[in-house]
Amino acid sequence: MNESIALGGAPGISTSETRTASRVNLPFEFRGNGGEYFRIWIVNLLLTIVTLGIYSAWAKVRRLRYFYGNTYLDGHSFEFHGRPLAILKGRLIVFGAYLVFVFASQLNPLIVFVMIPLAIFGVPWIILKSRLFQTRMSSYRNIRFNFHGTYGGALSAFVGWYLLVVITIGILYPAWVKKRVEYSLDNAAYGTQKWSFLTTTGRFYTFCLITFGLSAAAYFGFIFLFMGLFSGLKNAGTYGAGAELAMLAAMGPGLWLSVLVAAAVALAIGGYYQASFLNASFGGVQIGGNYLRSNLQIAPLVWIYVTNLLGIVFTLGLFYPWAKVRQTRYQLENMAVDSDGNLSSFMADASPKTSALGEEAGDFFDVDFGL
Amino acid sequence: MIQGRYFDGRSSAPVEATLEIGADGMVRVHGLPEPVAAPLLDLEISDRIGNIARRISFADGAVFETHDNDAVDAALDAARDVVGLRHGSGLVHWLESRWHVALASVAGVVVISAAFLIWGVPAIANWAAGVMPASMDQAIGSGTLDVLDRVAFEPSNLPKARQRELETLFTRMTAPLDDGHDYELEVRDGGSLGANAFALPSGIVVMTDQLVALSKSDDELRAVLAHEIGHVRGRHALRHLLQAAGITAIATALLGDVSSISGILSAAPALLDAKNSRDFETEADNFARQWLQENHVAESSFDAILCRLSHAEGSEAGKKDFDFFSTHPATGKRASCKAPADAAVAEPAEAPAGAEPSESPAPEESADPAELTDPGEPTQQQLPAEPEPVPIS
Repeated sequence: MNESIALGGAPGISTSETRTASRVNLPFEFRGNGGEYFRIWIVNLLLTIVTLGIYSAWAKVRRLRYFYGNTYLDGHSFEFHGRPLAILKGRLIVFGAYLVFVFASQLNPLIVFVMIPLAIFGVPWIILKSRLFQTRMSSYRNIRFNFHGTYGGALSAFVGWYLLVVITIGILYPAWVKKRVEYSLDNAAYGTQKWSFLTTTGRFYTFCLITFGLSAAAYFGFIFLFMGLFSGLKNAGTYGAGAELAMLAAMGPGLWLSVLVAAAVALAIGGYYQASFLNASFGGVQIGGNYLRSNLQIAPLVWIYVTNLLGIVFTLGLFYPWAKVRQTRYQLENMAVDSDGNLSSFMADASPKTSALGEEAGDFFDVDFGL
Repeated sequence: MIQGRYFDGRSSAPVEATLEIGADGMVRVHGLPEPVAAPLLDLEISDRIGNIARRISFADGAVFETHDNDAVDAALDAARDVVGLRHGSGLVHWLESRWHVALASVAGVVVISAAFLIWGVPAIANWAAGVMPASMDQAIGSGTLDVLDRVAFEPSNLPKARQRELETLFTRMTAPLDDGHDYELEVRDGGSLGANAFALPSGIVVMTDQLVALSKSDDELRAVLAHEIGHVRGRHALRHLLQAAGITAIATALLGDVSSISGILSAAPALLDAKNSRDFETEADNFARQWLQENHVAESSFDAILCRLSHAEGSEAGKKDFDFFSTHPATGKRASCKAPADAAVAEPAEAPAGAEPSESPAPEESADPAELTDPGEPTQQQLPAEPEPVPIS
């Protein structure tokens, strides 16, 4: 059961006898597969349609249980405990509120302005509730995760810091990104053991600035490239119609090539940001004597994003389950726990239950919390 | 005997153990320092999904976890006879583990969702609109005309007498309807909206000077007004609103599970919305033609004004072939346009400013005389393809 320890052990340490004294590297593992998840996905989608959406709550629980249950660390899997009825209740409330909003805004378009303060103060609440639900409904080795964040903390991290970013015309943006991640991770807990988020603000600044610099360089690079192409065309024009046509013909493939190169560069920069962001976020988590490690690489990540997108588009969505499994597998299998070898000593926290409303609200309105 | 691991619910330490479901309905866990036993009916057994570990949860928070899903199912089957246990979740797993069920599900998803979106949603919206009182229509878009007056319209340049004449014409059309709507005609200088007419759900029909100028007879204006009345009478704004809400709700339900591709598929509701909008236009056209027949007005006047409008909008030839994306049906399907460019339209307006308005078919004065002499080319930008501020014109 502990084969992963022997495989991933630090140099010179390969037996479990030395675990308490030495550090071990425990990689995450994902055991799901696309074909299996495809069948689960499509059957649940059909059931959802046939039941006019009511079954979607059950479908969601089965999906999350499949992904949690196939995520392994040190030979043990994770588990999702969300209750379909609680999720359904949350969905119905959110759906009702949404309908009221749609009709109200049709009756009086000015109601949108009333919604703005509601959204500003409501979103942090939704984020808090969503985090509570996600953590408390997850377990590992029959110990639930927990969340100790407050409403004030969410308001400060998501709204207050956003205002600071606006005031400083973006200079504080990387710090804001960090604050949001910190709110989610630093307030989390595994049983009674609180998590700490160790990544420095400087690391967020570094990859944000590199991304910004690369984007600016690429932007101006392509402007010069296109200007060069077009001035070439102009010069050719002076030599008569024949030369112009020849130039156009030569430029045709050149234009396509430069569009492709531009897309590739944009994807590479996006991949760099995404990989750096995830590595900085998850790689900064400390849980007692254990440290999360995240080592995503740009090229494989971009390759997975691109091929997944193409696969989904060309199969009209049927590739989705494989895409989801591929991405999950890559991300998990490049994460590990640098452990003190003592994963058996965590204690359960007797916490109250939480409602599914917050998580569903976030889900329904497709709010992206950045993590 | 089922092999697995036992967690006491207090610490993260696993204990290798075996579990036994007895014929008496008692569950016993062996291999622990202290033996654990509980009635099967007091335990919670997680549903089988793929090959993930099965959890048998005890009331005190302890869990027995095993990968031997088949053994758990077999033991539950055996125990079912004894304790009469109801355990229906196995059905979903049975469906999920078969490829032919999955393929049939693909077909089912495609057929059902397409059929429901095309026929089900409009039918439900129609029913719901019938249930709602006419006061709903008053409320929808009550501020629209004020906004348009500020943003797009100028007061009409038609002589007051002509305006009153048109209002009388409209009142004569709407007086016998008695369907709970307060019909009222408003004439405006359409400005950048050009030759246009549209209906507000409350019963206000707005017609632009440019449309009056484009028409060659009051019968043509009657035809257009009948079309707009058809929108009001059919409560198309309310039904459109209900359908849009329905489509959004269904798309969310379908794709809520698939949020990452919802962006790609979000074009589908827009296409459906356009289709429903075209259906409303056809319905209003049918109402207009029926009204013309019943009131002994030549149907050809409707064709004539539609063709002239479509010509005035500019001959976007390509667009007419792709009515799948359009909110209005292709004019060729709505009216039979015999002469592509109505030569008569090119006649210069006879009535100079100040002329006494009459029933004459000649267009009245307009803010922009260029439109009268040739509504075809110079006014293309002023007559956008989709000028309506509410999706109804």
